[in-house]
Amino acid sequence: MKPRVGIPRALLYYNYFPLWEVFFKELGAEVVLSGLTNKKILDDGVNCCVDDACLPMKVFHGHIIELKDRVDYLFVPRLISVERNEYICPKFCGLPDMVLNSVKDLPTVIDCTINLRNSSSSLRRAVLDVGRLFTGDYRRIYTAYRKAVLCLESFEGLMEKGATPLEAMKGDYSKAGEYHYSIGLIGHPYNIYDNYMSMRIIDKLRDRGVNVITQDMICSNELDRIARDFSKPMFWSFGKSIMAASRYLIDKRHVKGIIYLVAFGCGLDALVGDLVERRIRKKGIPFCLLTIDEHTGEAGIDTRLEAFIDMLEWGGTAKCW
Amino acid sequence: MEKEFYLGIDVGSVSTNLVLLNSQRELVYRDYLRTMGQPIRVVQEGLKALKGRMGEINIAGAGTTGSGRKLAGIMIGADVVKNEITTHAVAALDTNPAVSTILEIGGQDSKIIILRDGIVSDFAMNTVCAAGTGSFLDRQAERLQIPIEEFGDLALKSKNEVRVAGRCAVFAESDMIHKQQLGHRIEDIVYGLCQALVRNYLNNLGKGKAIKPTVLFQGGVAANRGIREAFRRELGMEIEVPPHYDVMGSIGVALIAKETAKRMGRTGFRGLDISKCQFGVRPIECKGCANMCEIIEIVKDGTGIACWGDRCGKWSNRIGK
Repeated sequence: MKPRVGIPRALLYYNYFPLWEVFFKELGAEVVLSGLTNKKILDDGVNCCVDDACLPMKVFHGHIIELKDRVDYLFVPRLISVERNEYICPKFCGLPDMVLNSVKDLPTVIDCTINLRNSSSSLRRAVLDVGRLFTGDYRRIYTAYRKAVLCLESFEGLMEKGATPLEAMKGDYSKAGEYHYSIGLIGHPYNIYDNYMSMRIIDKLRDRGVNVITQDMICSNELDRIARDFSKPMFWSFGKSIMAASRYLIDKRHVKGIIYLVAFGCGLDALVGDLVERRIRKKGIPFCLLTIDEHTGEAGIDTRLEAFIDMLEWGGTAKCW
Repeated sequence: MEKEFYLGIDVGSVSTNLVLLNSQRELVYRDYLRTMGQPIRVVQEGLKALKGRMGEINIAGAGTTGSGRKLAGIMIGADVVKNEITTHAVAALDTNPAVSTILEIGGQDSKIIILRDGIVSDFAMNTVCAAGTGSFLDRQAERLQIPIEEFGDLALKSKNEVRVAGRCAVFAESDMIHKQQLGHRIEDIVYGLCQALVRNYLNNLGKGKAIKPTVLFQGGVAANRGIREAFRRELGMEIEVPPHYDVMGSIGVALIAKETAKRMGRTGFRGLDISKCQFGVRPIECKGCANMCEIIEIVKDGTGIACWGDRCGKWSNRIGK
């Protein structure tokens, strides 16, 4: 029987799943994904995770609980850095430890360390270490990894055409519908694309005839180029792309407004949010900060979204209401 | 020619307000009712009272706003269901086209709306906390055994400034008690509380916003002369309180309903006699998936007229809109 590798549909799933999936499949494993975030996953996560973690971390724990009894391995990599001289949120460094500490009766946890801050050697080591769990054939491991990287690149290519990660994973994205105008939506991918946490914010905007542009839909070379012009290097990878995306949206895409979706208690969002907001406001572009937490009532988000859209449309024609 | 009227209903957390405008946009009827947690009953009673006072009239357009807007909108067959920010802005502009800033403090929420050249350019609403709102003043008035109507006038008698901590209602309360035990005069403490509320409001909502005259102060709390005075001193500019400051949301939505009904050429309003109908709600816990959505079905005379609360649309799409 094929070994089953469980991947939680949370956190960096939205950035790297196509890579992970192909890699494990090529090594002969079966990839098992947790379901879409739902009330039970949220409740389970909130109950078992440490109290002061942010919402997406709690949701990740809920996905672990949903998966753990159906798989032989759980893939919870320890990501410290994914770009040279940059970090991702410190909670990711401790994620496998948090999971091992808070969730009982776990299958084998694959917690390889990825740290590209100084060199890419840790990535090679991680690929080999994980691969050896499934095969002794090094060539097969490298081939699997190369295929996985190609798959990730085509996934990222689809997103740069305007697909959300979920659409890009289906692989058959064609630019949908006619939109009246564009809005920028920035924030951590695991907040904006999880339909339960974000309360379907992208669908709600699209239903109103708004084209939504997220930071993942912008060419990454472009973002890197903008980031080089920052007065100080931004050492958080997500913070960098959020800040660069906001500048790109202001200068190049002529968006009508920008929405920043933040999770309550996120340290990075608190800092980057303020930097981004100042810049956007200086350019006179409408800005809206939406905070999400454990609330399941959608009225709060809906009122703010509705009012923001009214405001944008009101500015266009004399009396849109 | 038969006279035409336009109905606006604002179903808020604390109060439910009904207004009737004539075709010259003048207010001909207004009613301020306590919601008391029963939005359906209070809307029906409001309509019954309206019919009692005005008799059989031709309502050519109707709209709802406030946190209960969706429910009330379904009940009365509203032509338009609008968020509070847009309706407050529309009403303020109709009262004084020169308005640049709207300060609005209601029972459970507060907002600031920035307008430039008759267009909303920015807004902010309080987050989950209701510290600087009417309910907090209500509660303090009760604790000091001062009728809320006299609270503001008492504050104006203050001769000495007493500083009350304003970050949080619980902090403010203990600070007020300490000041009172030290022997400070009650009017000084009450004015200190008004200043604390204003400080809290401006720090939270006004952060980074350019507050320019003309400033309109609306919402139930605008009745409080102590708060008005504290705003005037803190901002260093005159604060204008419109004559119908406490029902501005309903006026705004009635104005929008007038435009909408004119554009549509008809109204969906079900008539004043809906106060005689039997309205009820059927709560359903959907067992379809792990979300276990809490569905609410609105029932009129035994038949379901609307459903909401589901995330997938299984229930809400069942009944035609």
